Amino acid sequence: MTNFLFIKSQRIKQLGFLILMFMFSLGTQAQTTVSGKVSDKDGPIPGVNVSIKGTKTGTVTDMDGAFTLKSVPTNGVLIFSFIGYNKKEIAVNKQSKINVILESEITTLNNVVVVGYGSMKRADLTGAVSSVSSESFKQSVSTTIDQVLQGRAAGVNIQQNSGAPGASSSIRIRGISSLNGSNEPIFVIDGVIIDGGTGSSFTNPLSSINPSDIVSMDVLKDASATAIYGSRAANGVIMITTKHGKKGELSLTFDSYVGWQEIPKNLDLLNLREYAVHKNTLASLGIVTRDTNFIRPDLLGEGTDWQKELFTTAMMQSYNLSASGGTDKTTYSMGIGYLDQDGIAIGSAFKRFNLRGVIDSQVKDYLKMGVNFNLSNAEQKTTVSDDSLILTALKQTPNVAVRNADGTYDGPATSEFVQTNPIGLAMLKDNHNTQVGMRATTYAEIGFTKDLKFKTTYSLDYGFHSDYKFDPSYTFGAIVNEVRTGQRSKSDSKYWNWNNLLTYNKKFGVHSINAMLGEEMQESHWENLYGSRTGYLTNGATDLNAGDATTAKNSNGSGTSALSSYFGRVFYSYDDKYLLTGTIRRDGSSKFYKDNQWGWFPSAAFAWKVSNESFLKDSKTVNNLKLRLGWGMVGNQNVPNNAYTSVYNASATNWGTGLLAANTANQDLQWETTTSSNAGFDLGLFNNRIEFTTDVYYKKTDNLLLQLPLPAYVGTTGQGATSAPWVNIGSLENKGIEFTLNTINVQTKDYTWKSNLVFSKNMSKVLQLNTATGVLNKTLQQGSDITIVTRTAVGQPIGQFYGYQVIGRFEKATDFYYKDAQGNVVPTALPQGMKIAENSVWIGDYIFKDLNKDGVINEKDQTYIGNPAPKFTFGFGNTFSFKGFDLNIFLTGAYGNDVVNYQRRWLENPRESTNLLKSATGYAQLALIDPNGPNDYRNVAIVGGDPYMPRIGASSASSTSNYRYSDRFIEDGSYVRIKNISIGYNLPQNVVSKMKLTNLKVYTNMQNVFTFTKYKGYDPEVGSINQDALLTGIDNGRYPSPLIYTFGLTANF
Amino acid sequence: MKTKNILYKILMIALPLFALGCSDLLDVTPEDVITKDNFYKSEEDFKAATGPLYNKVWFDFNDKFYYGLGDGRSYNLYAPFSDYVYPFSDLSVTGLTGPLVSAWSSLYNVVQQSNNVIIGISGSPVSADKKNQYLAEARFMRGTAYWYLASLWGDVIISTDPNELVKNPIVNKNPTKDVYEFAMRDLEFAAKYLPNQAAQSGRLTKYSAYGMLSRVYLSYSGLSDNPNSGTRDQKYLDLAKKAAEKVINEGPYLLMKDYADLYKVDNNNNTESMFALQWVPRGDYGVNNTQQAYFALNSAITGDDAAWGYWTRASNDVLKEYESKDVRRKATWMGDDDFYPEISKANGGYTVDHEKSFLNVKKGVVGSTKDNAKTSRMNSGLNTYMLRLGEVYLNHAEAILGNNANTTDASALASINALRLRAGLTAKTNLTYTDIIHERRVELCMEGQYWYDLVRRAYYRQQEVINYINGQQRGVIVPILYDTATNTVSVDASKSNSSRAVGTANETTFLLPYPDTEVVQNPLLKEKAVPYIFTEPKITNLF
Repeated sequence: MTNFLFIKSQRIKQLGFLILMFMFSLGTQAQTTVSGKVSDKDGPIPGVNVSIKGTKTGTVTDMDGAFTLKSVPTNGVLIFSFIGYNKKEIAVNKQSKINVILESEITTLNNVVVVGYGSMKRADLTGAVSSVSSESFKQSVSTTIDQVLQGRAAGVNIQQNSGAPGASSSIRIRGISSLNGSNEPIFVIDGVIIDGGTGSSFTNPLSSINPSDIVSMDVLKDASATAIYGSRAANGVIMITTKHGKKGELSLTFDSYVGWQEIPKNLDLLNLREYAVHKNTLASLGIVTRDTNFIRPDLLGEGTDWQKELFTTAMMQSYNLSASGGTDKTTYSMGIGYLDQDGIAIGSAFKRFNLRGVIDSQVKDYLKMGVNFNLSNAEQKTTVSDDSLILTALKQTPNVAVRNADGTYDGPATSEFVQTNPIGLAMLKDNHNTQVGMRATTYAEIGFTKDLKFKTTYSLDYGFHSDYKFDPSYTFGAIVNEVRTGQRSKSDSKYWNWNNLLTYNKKFGVHSINAMLGEEMQESHWENLYGSRTGYLTNGATDLNAGDATTAKNSNGSGTSALSSYFGRVFYSYDDKYLLTGTIRRDGSSKFYKDNQWGWFPSAAFAWKVSNESFLKDSKTVNNLKLRLGWGMVGNQNVPNNAYTSVYNASATNWGTGLLAANTANQDLQWETTTSSNAGFDLGLFNNRIEFTTDVYYKKTDNLLLQLPLPAYVGTTGQGATSAPWVNIGSLENKGIEFTLNTINVQTKDYTWKSNLVFSKNMSKVLQLNTATGVLNKTLQQGSDITIVTRTAVGQPIGQFYGYQVIGRFEKATDFYYKDAQGNVVPTALPQGMKIAENSVWIGDYIFKDLNKDGVINEKDQTYIGNPAPKFTFGFGNTFSFKGFDLNIFLTGAYGNDVVNYQRRWLENPRESTNLLKSATGYAQLALIDPNGPNDYRNVAIVGGDPYMPRIGASSASSTSNYRYSDRFIEDGSYVRIKNISIGYNLPQNVVSKMKLTNLKVYTNMQNVFTFTKYKGYDPEVGSINQDALLTGIDNGRYPSPLIYTFGLTANF
Repeated sequence: MKTKNILYKILMIALPLFALGCSDLLDVTPEDVITKDNFYKSEEDFKAATGPLYNKVWFDFNDKFYYGLGDGRSYNLYAPFSDYVYPFSDLSVTGLTGPLVSAWSSLYNVVQQSNNVIIGISGSPVSADKKNQYLAEARFMRGTAYWYLASLWGDVIISTDPNELVKNPIVNKNPTKDVYEFAMRDLEFAAKYLPNQAAQSGRLTKYSAYGMLSRVYLSYSGLSDNPNSGTRDQKYLDLAKKAAEKVINEGPYLLMKDYADLYKVDNNNNTESMFALQWVPRGDYGVNNTQQAYFALNSAITGDDAAWGYWTRASNDVLKEYESKDVRRKATWMGDDDFYPEISKANGGYTVDHEKSFLNVKKGVVGSTKDNAKTSRMNSGLNTYMLRLGEVYLNHAEAILGNNANTTDASALASINALRLRAGLTAKTNLTYTDIIHERRVELCMEGQYWYDLVRRAYYRQQEVINYINGQQRGVIVPILYDTATNTVSVDASKSNSSRAVGTANETTFLLPYPDTEVVQNPLLKEKAVPYIFTEPKITNLF
């Protein structure tokens, strides 16, 4: 690695120890002894840390909450901290007795929530906003921020698309509101918008962000909260706040963990003996040629277990160091982090280096300025995913060895219709990418008066993505590659945003007004450059220069899009009882034709703080009750550039560059808009020991943007095709309910138990589709098999699985006929073009449901066979604290969703010549009833096998027919997962003080501990293919999420 | 006061910024694609627009279906593990068969991109003369694609404007006869307006269109409501003859001396080539000829891992077709002991060395990048013949034979014998259909033609062709020993036959099912075809 930003992990380790050994000491002047008592509303609290700020000196309160601390500087500051309570600082001021009342931390009402272009007190919110604090990051092994949100915010459904290191997740806030590709929300990090929807399944645009830099995430869910982001907020907005400095002495935090990852489960595949027996069976049926090595299967061993060869125990390690502090005028925060995660499948890995700095300064009493700078360098190895090596490993046969005796890689004996050596490829092939990201924000805020402020913010987000690929020469048995190919590609993205805000805050008696007027410009630009060469002389130097210049290929492309916006917001509060928020935004997008460029996005919300009314004000039970109502509109412009105009692609010919029509233009293309309404309430009971928030919502999306699905005869599929036009295709709705329940179940002197339950339920329905057929199909290709796997149709939920229904198996001759309602004997429907014959339909084949009762099984008999959307999802967290220990158990789950175990179509098909799942050998075994009789279907019976498996197809037609896409491959995807168990221990203060630390915590964390599910594949959480909402819940050789154990420590100086 | 001053300054800077917001920001001009506004303005633009009609739009077709359908379905080719061949040759195609939709869409890509060019040129301000020449080029492509579609699926959707289909894709299909008529009109237009001489090597001429017409007239002559009528329409037989004669007597094309030379990269666009797909040497995926990768016996030939042809072999049925001295066998199939000096030149040539029990494909296999500078991985750089003079000779003879049992017509004999003599065989003195179909099969073997010959015959002698196909015994694999020196097949008695489950031919065999995915989207494909309304007058002064 030549990149200067990458420091070898070894060195970071040493650095970590250095810092641990580093000590602070401060001289003190006048000293006194301070004693006192610490209590909360219910009485004294034992075990509270009392320390002198800026020193390591401290003590702990006794059983009665009392403490005595000697040698306290008379001008010093005491810090009282205890888990579950807000930290409190009290200046000594020569006092000798200080009694303190700590407030329970769960009283979050005064917390500040980040909203669009500003922040608000949680108590003043009128919209639906969920927040996740940095605590949650500490309780999980999260390498990217999306993983933290899973199960922790109501209404947010997150599924990892792949378990590979650095891979992406599908994030759906309140269902799917758009049919085109991505439904990812936008992420706004300290005011800079990061697009979540740009990654493939294997790369995650959020992977450059270090979770430990984050203070909180606020999920804006309903349109009254998101409409201020107008054009880009259709899928919700996630506001991320990173650490900013706090006034005070330098505070250092060092956190580090190491971990091990394992595959949680193995699939049951054939071993060599079983494979040999099966291959012999296939040979006697004339399906494959007989392998002379398999004459005596009983003499064979286990063979190669490719699954075990591919998946190993993998290491991961993480180091983070942060510093913050400041003066009255200027605060700073800095951080540096390093993560190194190997994948459980060899040939996958992820590394990330982060650097950040924030400075905020009140340079004049009317002028505040600041800069926020982030740099990240991530490196990801993707050979396994890019070459589908997991599938190859599952299919590679156990008679092939991984290595030769001399240590080189082995392979199959022929090169035809066999699998390559996945281990060899994973080890030899170079397929990695680096992503350097730079995000910076500067702002200046001018206070014209106490109430009127102007803020101008300029932000940029630059990404430099490089792909490195090299195919070396290799010999895996009969599979030979002599041509070494190197490929390099560089993609740059540059985004800038400049916004100007004028805000006005004023209180007139019981009236309080907060108004904002803004203007914003943003522009995104991307470009790429690609080159490749072959003819390398060795497998060593892989840069293009080492290849043969005469074989060079190259290409380059670019694109720019821009948005221009004006917006305003008014917040009005009457007597802190009635709150009203109104926003309006006008956006213009370069992606539409000039007549359709501009869109309006208004919103309004109302809240009533019932608990501030006189009849509830003094209630002992209800200490918070707020009702909320909201309505708003947001937009979506997620279409490729130039969709409204006809463009031509260059295409090479021997007579110079040719031009081919690239698209069908649609000048009428316009904004997709989602209108949503929300009603909810927040309730706090018993001094907020019980906090309950619930919302119901209804969202309707109109003018859905979609690339028109067209039949192939329109000339829109394959090489040289024109791409189908982007159109506004219809509308759909989502409605749902969600709630969050936070409780403090037990709170005693030594022991607390807190729970957090998050529940989300969403239902989607398509209301209108302006396609000619009113349906939208999605296909999946495997080799040359192209199958419609999902259908989205009017009146139906989105992206349901669509295929045939298996209603039984031809068990005996009489199954080929049945009596209809009139008592006539009629033939059972057979697949179109097939008849009763051994090489067509036979005893042991599936009976498909003849839905339209036309006596033949054809495409008209396909129907909805499963729904990938769960009936509900939930997250359930429990935190137990006992003295210095804390234990977190976090569960997530989904109920009522279906998953397609897609690879069973091949891995469970006994006719396939690859290695198979053990269940494949449960095929229906046939025999003649009268051994001397003819091979006639009336003389054939099933004599063995699994009652649900078909026979080995005697022809490719019968095999294709049995293994057509049917409900046989749909499985119940409900699951409950013990997502995390973390145990932490805060070392006693006297021990910590001796080490000159303010705090030292050691912890262990287990992730993906166990999953309760009926699903037979690796993992029921499968996410979406290519972030496509309409290809959700299809497990097509997904990289399983690993089981992770980590051990770590956090030290504060 | 000072504070106010600063505030004032800041305000003065900030205010103009607000104004900047809207204006230019949203006008974005793409830099990696060309927009329609500045295209189709000159003849150069026409050339740029018609160029890709010779390669990229045919890519998917050339990649698999050229031979999968042409030679696989007619059982020249035996590829038991290639799912783009065996469903076709096993007669087990259903609407679910994977490659079917790809075959279908590959031809419609040609149709629709040709339509885009036709629409673009029609609306151009350039003079009508110039426009017609390039319209003719695009219409030739469209007509050819429709001939394939009519032969494979019969009733299909005739489209002249993809934009209409974008607005409403649920349209009726049109009857086979109209599809043929449509194809013929396109090719007749092409024959009228294409130039006598190609301006650029490899581009079409007037005679390319006449040659293609001789094929299409011949197909159409047999089509009637009675598939066992036994006769062909004399009018179209005559037209086929006239079209072929135009080519033979007036055209610039000449037979190559050596048959094997036709399949060498250096001989792309030779004197015999009338329409060939123009692949780009070292071109990107989409303008490359991938066939070698699917045919090559092993990596020693291609020099890379893209050599997947070990199991793609000559059927026993086609091997029996070769006369013992026919040099075309070695140029089409490679068997044990065959020597090819043009392959693996660095090692002094390539000698096939394996058991005598099978033969792999030679046509389309040219060797590695060391043998030909134009060759690279998955790109042989070899043109794909879509029409060559050899076929026009065969069309000529077949048209003259017409409805007769045999012919001794001198010009028919001359046509056939020109090919036979080049192949190292003796001249014929009398021609029957059997003689001509034998010659067609061998001459054009692995050039994606034989299935269409069978379909053409089945238009008027369906039962004969059904019997013929069932007689090919596709389900029985007889172990053979092949003597490459004498082109002799003998049964290997030491091994036993094996069987494969295949379908039987019947009257439905001659039309492929519509792909399921298409029928789902347009149920009208299963309804009765609706006649096409021709708006343009038919060209009558071609001959």
